[in-house]
Amino acid sequence: MTRNAEAALLIAAAVLAALGVAMVNFASGIGFDAQVALTFLVFVLSFGGVHLALRRWAPTANPYLFPIAAFLAAIGFIEVYRLDRDLAALQRWSLLVAAALAAFILFLLRDEGVAALRRYRYIFLLLAIGLLLLPLLPESWPLYGAEVFGSRLWVRVDLPFGDRTLSFQPGEVAKLLLTVFLASYLADRHLALATPRKIGRLSVPEPRQLFPVLVAAGASFLVLIYQRDLGASLLLFALFIGMMYVATARSAYLISGATLVAAGGVVAYQMFDHVQRRVFAWLHPFEDFTDTGYQIAQSLFALGSGSLTGSGLGLGRPDLIPAAATDFVFAAVGEEMGFAGSVAVITAYALLVAAGFGIALRARDVFRKFLAAGLTLVIGIQAFLIIAGVTRLLPVTGITLPFMSYGGSSLLANMVLISLLARISHGERT
Amino acid sequence: MNGPIRHLAATLFLAMLALVGMVSWLQVIQADEYRNDPRNARVVAARAGRERGTIITADGVVVAVSEADPSDPRVFRRSYPEGEQYAHIVGYSTALFGNTGLEASKSSELVSNRDSTISGVLNAVLGGDLRPRGLRLTINDELQTVARDALGGQTGAVVALDPTTGAVLAMVSNPSFDPNTLLGIDAGPAGEALENDPAEPLLNRAAQAAYNPGSTFKVVTAAAGLETGIAGPGTVYDDVTELALPGSTATIRNFSRGPCADGTQVSLTTAFARSCNTIFGELGLQLGAEPLVAQAEAFGFNTEPVTDFPAATSTIPAADTFTDALAAVAQTAIGERDVRATPLQMAMIAATVANGGEVLEPYVVAEVFTADATIESRTEPTVLGRAISPATAGALAEMMERVVTGGTGSRAAVSGVRIAGKTGTAEVPGAAPHSWFIGFGPVGAEPGQPQIAIAVLIEEGGSVGEDATGGTVAAPIAQAVLARFFGRTG
Repeated sequence: MTRNAEAALLIAAAVLAALGVAMVNFASGIGFDAQVALTFLVFVLSFGGVHLALRRWAPTANPYLFPIAAFLAAIGFIEVYRLDRDLAALQRWSLLVAAALAAFILFLLRDEGVAALRRYRYIFLLLAIGLLLLPLLPESWPLYGAEVFGSRLWVRVDLPFGDRTLSFQPGEVAKLLLTVFLASYLADRHLALATPRKIGRLSVPEPRQLFPVLVAAGASFLVLIYQRDLGASLLLFALFIGMMYVATARSAYLISGATLVAAGGVVAYQMFDHVQRRVFAWLHPFEDFTDTGYQIAQSLFALGSGSLTGSGLGLGRPDLIPAAATDFVFAAVGEEMGFAGSVAVITAYALLVAAGFGIALRARDVFRKFLAAGLTLVIGIQAFLIIAGVTRLLPVTGITLPFMSYGGSSLLANMVLISLLARISHGERT
Repeated sequence: MNGPIRHLAATLFLAMLALVGMVSWLQVIQADEYRNDPRNARVVAARAGRERGTIITADGVVVAVSEADPSDPRVFRRSYPEGEQYAHIVGYSTALFGNTGLEASKSSELVSNRDSTISGVLNAVLGGDLRPRGLRLTINDELQTVARDALGGQTGAVVALDPTTGAVLAMVSNPSFDPNTLLGIDAGPAGEALENDPAEPLLNRAAQAAYNPGSTFKVVTAAAGLETGIAGPGTVYDDVTELALPGSTATIRNFSRGPCADGTQVSLTTAFARSCNTIFGELGLQLGAEPLVAQAEAFGFNTEPVTDFPAATSTIPAADTFTDALAAVAQTAIGERDVRATPLQMAMIAATVANGGEVLEPYVVAEVFTADATIESRTEPTVLGRAISPATAGALAEMMERVVTGGTGSRAAVSGVRIAGKTGTAEVPGAAPHSWFIGFGPVGAEPGQPQIAIAVLIEEGGSVGEDATGGTVAAPIAQAVLARFFGRTG
């Protein structure tokens, strides 16, 4: 596949988004309006811009990444637009900014590639932990933390002009920085970590080698648990374990990781009511229908009502699902686009993950390999965790669906993530 | 190093596959269960929001209509302009309480097919008419109004049929309710109040409640006598004041407590006109259980009614349950004991006599019409069977005419029209009696001449109380309806 094919697919995604908006309009009796053209324009500008950046600064980069991301962004945008036009307008701005940032990253890394990032790994680690701590800032400060739906994940700034508040989720960026740190650290130490010291019969990794990783993991966890962010905790944990496994090829990490997750889950269940409520809602969504089970029950109703081909865009009731535009956007897609839409979305994530792991497999040096694997894990685990929650395969963990959920921070982080993957793949194709 | 990456990739693919499995389960296998769950607000919204067809009476009065919401042209609101008058026939289509009446039984015609199901889309592509169908009822709004006015505040029911087709001309049950109060999402308390109302306004007494038919059942007993040849209109009986019942200390006495006529001898016709229990008890004893039960069943008892609206079965105990209880046969023959009939069943008996003995299927939907007002289907009269011979029907008609011209049913008379009838007063333990009148007109109708059969039931004395009889309470109500039908006032 060539860059030209990529361009064609990106335009197809822009057409998809615009057509979706037009269909939503028709369903509500509006017909064509400026929103249709505006959506097409924003998608063409955003992804077209990234595409031009790729042509200039990473011409041999993997051409599948951005078309898949654009497809997911288009599907998600249609549902966000269908649910709330104001949110959709904001989301368009976010897409423009995110694309600009992705292109800027490609520009910054144009000569050295991602290797340049290795120099800053400890800065990244500190930044990540700092960002994770930001939401704990007191509310009286100009930059302050805010609690939304019982989780303290947000940072806000009251802008001096107008009556506006800028809010963002620093955790979204922190997960990227932590991935870069881990990839970089493990690239230096993976040999040492893979040849553990023997203490009697037990094989234990060199503690000195492991220490920074444990600090990074521990600090991130504590913060996230304090902020009651189950989804991010689980994501980061799985990321650590996955990257340790890639770096050392020792399945002991996977086994001990799974054991820790199980133990941590039991402890969290004992300690926190919000964990208990989530598990109860997962097991018995209809028993406490009006309270704890409401969201998951609404999600199941939406998916079931969507059935094979969906209610049609704008013709369902995804507005009945709490958080339909953010964490539960998959249920909204499943209702209006049906089983067909659900499977298309899951398949797109599988393809994206396949492309990501393909890049990791072909990468020639370990840092690129680890980074590509880590970034791919971030996307894959996130998509899996939230779709599993929405479909009641697992308890709901509260995490955004990459590229599809409404939310600037998430879109920004994921576009940058994809541009890093693209940069890794540049010049390393076999 | 690539080994672990491949393992992780495989793990994530398996996880994605699990997601596909989960959405298959939710959206394909279990889809209907979630879609139709009563707690799924989509069900409620779809019910409340869809356009439904118009329902009009035979004479063009709109009784149910859907109108687009001014603020959202996709959402339709149902309304029932006639309120209480058609509540039991049309029923309601509500968000909270589902559908009843024709709104339930004719839902597939009344609902718009304009949806995004595969069949809906196919239909649209193939140029099918997706707009909802409308219904024209057999009910005549003028008669319905007269019947309702005549009932007034009394608890009871009126059923009028066209004896030649089975079409229901009027069907009123009192007390009623206003379906417009049940439509909204906020109708919960209103619906609960109706459900718990001891007066049972939701019950269609005309077709869904069965009562002791009292002396109106003597039409069935007389029919059995004529059909078996055990009795004829002129058969003469000893006019006793009291009929001793075999195997029992109980007796049967007349309503007057005296003899039927002059205390000597009396014909079956006179006994019928005067509604004498002694003579019909005697006839019941002569007949025995078998022919009496068989005759009732030929008229429709013990069979679930075939109708296009909900109707209860009228019942009479099986013949073999009377073997050791001859007294019960006599009491059943005068419409007491365990025989139970709906007003609809009794109207069908009158209609059968008017129609020369054939039982016709009652129906309330005359036509289904499209949004272009072209008739899509028309209900054809269906003969359910023959209950009595034309000769028996003719003889019964003359006996019933005597009830109105010189018997207990004189208050049902309409000037210039030969009206046939039979009154009934059914005892209710611890309360005033139920009053009945069944009848039809005109007797000896020419082919093509308009005909009507009617049944009126007033529960527990109506406005009269203890002294209520079929002749004083029910017959005047029938008279009002009959007079309007034949174009007479008063």
